[in-house]
Amino acid sequence: MKALFISLSLLFTCSSIFGQTVITGKISDQKGVGISGANVFIKGTYDGVSSDENGNFRFETTETGNQTVTFQALGFKVQEKETICSGQPMTFQITLSESIQVLTAVTITAGAMEASDVKKAVVLKPVDIVTTSGAMGDITAALLTLPGTSTVGNDGRLFVRGGDASETSIFIDGLQVGNAYGSTATNVPTRNRFSPNLFKGSFFSTGGYSAEYGQALSSALALNTLDMPLRNQGDLSIMSLGGGYTQTLVGKRNALTASGNYYNLAPYQSLISQKFDWEKSPVSWDTEVSLKQKWGKAGFIKAYAHTEGSLMAIWQAVPGEAGRGNRVQINNRYSYGNLSFRQVEKNDWSFYGGLAYSHNRDAVNLNYEPIRQINQVGHAKLVAVKDFSSQLSLKNGVEWYLKAYSEELVDDKLRRNIFDNQLIYFVEADYYFSNKLIFRGGLRNGYSTIAKQYWLDPRASLAYKINDQGQFSIAAGRFHQLPDEKLRVLQNNLKNAEASHYIFNYFIVSNNRTLRAEAFYKTYENLATYSGTDRAPVNISQEGSGYARGADVFYRDKKTFRNTDFWVTYSFINSKRKYSTYKTKVQPSFAPEHNGSVVVKHFISSLKSQLGTSWSWNSGYTFNDPNLSGEMQSKTKAYSDLSFSWSYLPRPNMILHIACSNILGRNNVFGYTYASQPDETGAFSRIPEGQGATRMLFAGLFITLSKDKNANQLNNL
Amino acid sequence: MKKSLLTITLIFAVMVSIFAQENPYHKVMITEISKLDQADSLKKFQQSANAFSRISQLNPKEWQPYYYGALAYIYQGLDGSLSLAKKDEALAKAAELIKKADAISPDNSEIITLEGFKVMAEVSADPASRGQSLSGTVMSNFGKALKIDPENPRAAVLMAQMEFGMAKFFNSGTEKACDLVKKSQVSFAGQNQNALKASLMPSWGKFLADKLSKVCQ
Repeated sequence: MKALFISLSLLFTCSSIFGQTVITGKISDQKGVGISGANVFIKGTYDGVSSDENGNFRFETTETGNQTVTFQALGFKVQEKETICSGQPMTFQITLSESIQVLTAVTITAGAMEASDVKKAVVLKPVDIVTTSGAMGDITAALLTLPGTSTVGNDGRLFVRGGDASETSIFIDGLQVGNAYGSTATNVPTRNRFSPNLFKGSFFSTGGYSAEYGQALSSALALNTLDMPLRNQGDLSIMSLGGGYTQTLVGKRNALTASGNYYNLAPYQSLISQKFDWEKSPVSWDTEVSLKQKWGKAGFIKAYAHTEGSLMAIWQAVPGEAGRGNRVQINNRYSYGNLSFRQVEKNDWSFYGGLAYSHNRDAVNLNYEPIRQINQVGHAKLVAVKDFSSQLSLKNGVEWYLKAYSEELVDDKLRRNIFDNQLIYFVEADYYFSNKLIFRGGLRNGYSTIAKQYWLDPRASLAYKINDQGQFSIAAGRFHQLPDEKLRVLQNNLKNAEASHYIFNYFIVSNNRTLRAEAFYKTYENLATYSGTDRAPVNISQEGSGYARGADVFYRDKKTFRNTDFWVTYSFINSKRKYSTYKTKVQPSFAPEHNGSVVVKHFISSLKSQLGTSWSWNSGYTFNDPNLSGEMQSKTKAYSDLSFSWSYLPRPNMILHIACSNILGRNNVFGYTYASQPDETGAFSRIPEGQGATRMLFAGLFITLSKDKNANQLNNL
Repeated sequence: MKKSLLTITLIFAVMVSIFAQENPYHKVMITEISKLDQADSLKKFQQSANAFSRISQLNPKEWQPYYYGALAYIYQGLDGSLSLAKKDEALAKAAELIKKADAISPDNSEIITLEGFKVMAEVSADPASRGQSLSGTVMSNFGKALKIDPENPRAAVLMAQMEFGMAKFFNSGTEKACDLVKKSQVSFAGQNQNALKASLMPSWGKFLADKLSKVCQ
């Protein structure tokens, strides 16, 4: 036994004398600069070392025979070298090539504006949508402070780069939302139905977007819902316009959120004088249930259901006529359901998709004549993504859309409807040439059963990073969209309108300052044109065309002024189009030439308050004056709105929010409604389309109730 | 019989523990943990992270090498000399290692604390834009860790540090923070640090607790 022990130790000693191999060398990047802190070691052993400041390394190993030396450093691809350790010193000169770092690599920013907490090339944080002064918690209103958009105060929807509101499609977790805005009367602004608190981030594209999105000529807005909430809690809101309660229950692998809200504008409107002639102030309620379930290691399933109802009745004066004018009553019921999933599978495959359905019913009483309109949108989607390497990924997707619309004159029992199925296939590849250069190319194919038309949309974009933070991107693509269902129901065989986008973008984020500048050119073909009026179109054809071109700048700064975050936006849009009832190419009313906004948020620690202000401005809306020759030859005075808000946190779980729009009391006019017949002097009389009230005042108290003492309202500020 | 069984068991246990101490994994871990404890520069944290990466490639079923590797990367992510992108790169690596540790040892109070610490480092890399959205995640991680092990002094002291920040933000008292510091100090005092070290269990954080306790006095 003893002898064995001695011989064994001898053996070990020997091997350490004869087997000691010294390994030295240098690790450099592709430019020849030494990489410090790289890890060099014999695979499968503890023998190894870190490189020094100049990339040099030296270590010894007692291993013998065939071995693998591994070289690895953060941000570089791992390299391995086969070698034979025989006691002879060895030297390695290693050049590591950089690996693609999704976190810091170049991203395509042409046309795109992201709100995200994790990504780099973002213009907004999700929380900004909630806290932008003047937005009053409306997602759309917050986005209207971004470049490429135009505020149309008597509409409230998103207007992007000379396109009308129907040219923007809205998605929740990748699935289309039909009727995302509340139903309203002409010239009474609407809001987005969905609360900004539902979402962890958004992707807003003002053009040149991915092949994943279609049936939108101008813009895509993709909203992503929150994953797992942090804790069980109740959220109570008491507002000047209503109130609501949300309960969140969190399990180990799942979570449930349920909420209910009720809004009634009557008490508020009885206190503050209104310019609109309300017979019944808007009243609405909504309920929501959202379920989240983790699935396997990396998968997620989300279910979301939202249903709401609203009622309003308003009198709208008719120019040249005495009395209250037309009475419009709208009773709306809306439901939206969305079931989505994502899952990561073996061999770098991942899948996502889901089902969504929305049903919108408007019971409209126009001067006591009942009309019933029903819109349905269904969407099913399945996408498979394969990462062939860290440089190349390929996305394949199939989609099915159902778009149905019916309208009925209830008393006359006259009903017409349209029921369209659309099948879509898209494919898109992302290829990183390096961390500095990325190319994305895609194709989107579609077929509509009603239009009996097949279409093909190629899309491409390229981004190049010049140094650490500045980058250029270009994007181009073709986009198809079928005319509004309200036109298609009159003439079922209408084909797609078509747009082409060309975008050039520069983007830089540096030290809490962001600058984004973009130039664009867009053409339109086959736009629907008709005679008659918007409400009763006749002789519909698709001979319209047009263009939009311009440039915009966005600058955001969180650094220059202490505790202050501000952004400034300017957009120039030059757009003309022949469409709807226009006989020639005109500048549309929703595309003011110059648009600007300034948003400021300032935190005052001693007051436990955040003060916010926002100013939105444009150079005026075009309108058609029948007293003059030509079309759309007139323009309103400039639009301007200065809003102010104050958020106060008396306790960590409580926030008091007060906001006022248009504090300067400017009388904004968005256009004019003209009489259909000239009066006795031969002139057409008119009524301005203005604001519902000079100012909008809002006060709300938001309280978070939770057993967890760490719950606070900080993330709502 | 009972007695002899006990003796055998004892001998076996002693042997196992001797064997355990003698095995190269244990030895190298003890050395590297103590190096990490004493590390005070970016270079040393890099060396430490590399060392634990070498250990984990040989011992992929142990959670501790991933844990300490992640810790070494979090310290790099807190290094003021690095750019935001470099900090995020280190913290992304830490996240990857924490995920591996968690897969081996789920619901481990120490690993959940480390996750919270990592998010805390992400916040401190860019507090202006991350503070509001991520502070809640940090606190919920420490809360979860303390729920599993109320005696986890690291969860308590890191939570105390967050509470100090919160108190400063809300302009309120530091009682809550100081209570947590005290709780953490009591836990540290009640634990046998040497035994923890010998079993490769986390034992860091006392220095921070002592430092914060001075603010409370």
